[in-house]
Amino acid sequence: MSFLSPSDPRVDQAAVTDESVISAHEKLLGVQPDEKGHYRLAPLNVLFFLSGLIMFGGTYLGRYAGYFDPRVYNENVLHGGGSGEAPVAIDPIALGKKLFNNAACNACHQATGLGLPGAIPPLVNSDWVTGSDEKLIRILLHGLQGPIKVAGVDYNSAMPAFGRVAGSGFNWSDDKIAAVLTYIRQEWGNQASGVSVEKVTAIHAKEGDHKPWTVVELEKLP
Amino acid sequence: MTTASTHAASAEVTPIDRQARGPLLLLLVLGVLWLVPSGIFALLASVQLHSPQFLTDCAWLTHGRLEALQETAFLYGWAANVGLAIALWVLARLGGYPLRALNWTVAGAIFWNLGLVGGLVGIATGDMTTFSFFQLPRYVQPLMVLAYAAMAISGVLAWSGRRTDSTFAAHWYAVAALFLFPWMFLATEVVLIWLPVRGTVQAIAAGWYAQGVWTLWLAPLALAGCYYIIPKVSGRVLSSYESAPLGFWCLLSVGAWTGGRHLIGGPVPAWIATMAVVTSALMLFHYLVVALNFRGVASAPGTGATFIRFGVSAYLLVGLLEVLTSFRAVALHTQFTFIATAQTQLGYYGAISMMFFGAVYYLVPRLAGRAWSSAGLVAGHRGLVMLGVVGSVAGLALAGFTQGAGLLQATVSQGSIFEGMRLPLLLNTCAQATLLVANLLLVVNLIRTIATCCTTVDAAAGLFRPAMNLEAPAL
Repeated sequence: MSFLSPSDPRVDQAAVTDESVISAHEKLLGVQPDEKGHYRLAPLNVLFFLSGLIMFGGTYLGRYAGYFDPRVYNENVLHGGGSGEAPVAIDPIALGKKLFNNAACNACHQATGLGLPGAIPPLVNSDWVTGSDEKLIRILLHGLQGPIKVAGVDYNSAMPAFGRVAGSGFNWSDDKIAAVLTYIRQEWGNQASGVSVEKVTAIHAKEGDHKPWTVVELEKLP
Repeated sequence: MTTASTHAASAEVTPIDRQARGPLLLLLVLGVLWLVPSGIFALLASVQLHSPQFLTDCAWLTHGRLEALQETAFLYGWAANVGLAIALWVLARLGGYPLRALNWTVAGAIFWNLGLVGGLVGIATGDMTTFSFFQLPRYVQPLMVLAYAAMAISGVLAWSGRRTDSTFAAHWYAVAALFLFPWMFLATEVVLIWLPVRGTVQAIAAGWYAQGVWTLWLAPLALAGCYYIIPKVSGRVLSSYESAPLGFWCLLSVGAWTGGRHLIGGPVPAWIATMAVVTSALMLFHYLVVALNFRGVASAPGTGATFIRFGVSAYLLVGLLEVLTSFRAVALHTQFTFIATAQTQLGYYGAISMMFFGAVYYLVPRLAGRAWSSAGLVAGHRGLVMLGVVGSVAGLALAGFTQGAGLLQATVSQGSIFEGMRLPLLLNTCAQATLLVANLLLVVNLIRTIATCCTTVDAAAGLFRPAMNLEAPAL
């Protein structure tokens, strides 16, 4: 009988039978590495390699898995909440400026803080801004309605609530409220003190979901 | 290591192959035919990457849908059909009896492919699920699971009713793939489609499935073919075979955990990404075992071995790259760029598909009882497909490097990044065209081989040389 050449690319010749493939490999699986006091290094080296990988994996998981806490998104967090990196301090002026210019503030009060003559009061040279922060914090948290006199001019428009209070479309945290207020009290030549987060939080807790303020109500405050 | 054996001489042409001829050739032909639409979709999608105006007016062929069509036709058309044919055949050969329940296989194959056609039309009209590798519309998904189960039955029967109690590595991988795909697909269907989990967990589930397609389904199918064919053609036992069980369990136990790799830098808890880094590193063990076991293919003769050499090399390279790009410092440059696409291409085309091609070249003459009809077409397919894989991976990787470097510099505009990627993406388009032509050669060769085989069975008489008995080396 004539066969195709073994190098014919159209048919791959099988060198060995199926049964012998199974039985020959089955024998190999039963072999111990140290049979008859004769050590074979290859399988041992393979096992050492696996052990090394497992050791690396365990160490790496312990260090960078954030203790399997679903709330930890930074792999460098250490046990107890500390982090390998120093926490980044937030500059309230920078945050305030970003919020002022990217939320709704600049739409009415303008990036210059000058407002719109006859419609929106200015933030520059305004006692409401640079004066008592008690009133200012309440205005931003809960909003303001009704007539108001700023720098000798009468205005009558609505200021929306920005705080995390009922009816607010913005839901800003107390940090953001403090940052924006600090920004407007120190920008455009204003030179009042900054507003602390603690004070915002205290007023927020005291007033709760107060409805928008009126000037009459605010003037009773210090 | 081999001894002549007279009774084994005729073992290469068996009733096993004659029984399985119709059903398995059906699966193979359907699988290979799917390469044509998948290749066309890939070509069109690749053109859109450097010429964004191309086909934008045709809603069915916008880029998002083309990518989904290409990936679905490739995975569920080409890889699923051919992978199953290889697994069933390997299980039958090793089991020692002809396949049973082949009617189920045929029915399953028909419904699987009809479901896939329906799914592709659904994707084109915008019904895809938005989860990568899981794009089939929800209404065809139950059908696909049932059809897969029907096709897998004969493989499970061949395994449970095998002639000898002992098993071989090819058994393990083939059976694992038969069982794991329906489990993975159903589990994903439940948590993403029927009772959808919310928020971040969705991304994690989708990442798990996408990685599972590779580690729990297609890689085992491809490895099953290789584990069978490499000792058969090389005539030698697999080296370091005693480590093969550990390599298998390594792939199965940690493989799908590497899914978090796709989410590094994304909005997921830190431990998901860290787990992916660790499991990718553990997978190095699996790749080491595969490399040791398949050492013998380096000198093995034949067309199938040529493809398998390429495929195994690509498989090992993918494993190394997965570890490398999983580390966060590297992922910073590679994640969400074309480098990830290049890795997918290398894995699914360079590794899985090349191993499948190798198995197809080995298997078809035995099923059809004839040699491949044309040596020229074999050589043409081999050369062009290798060129195409290298070209497309190189093009995508170059584009990815440019993109990764550009995206990290705030001063570089998107426009200039795309200018820099234009040339490598053109290279990718040329490579995709080459792949399409290569696969058309395979289609022609396969159809011609089958068309002429139906007359006589004993054409196989002079085809195969007698096989010897393989003996384990003495210590």
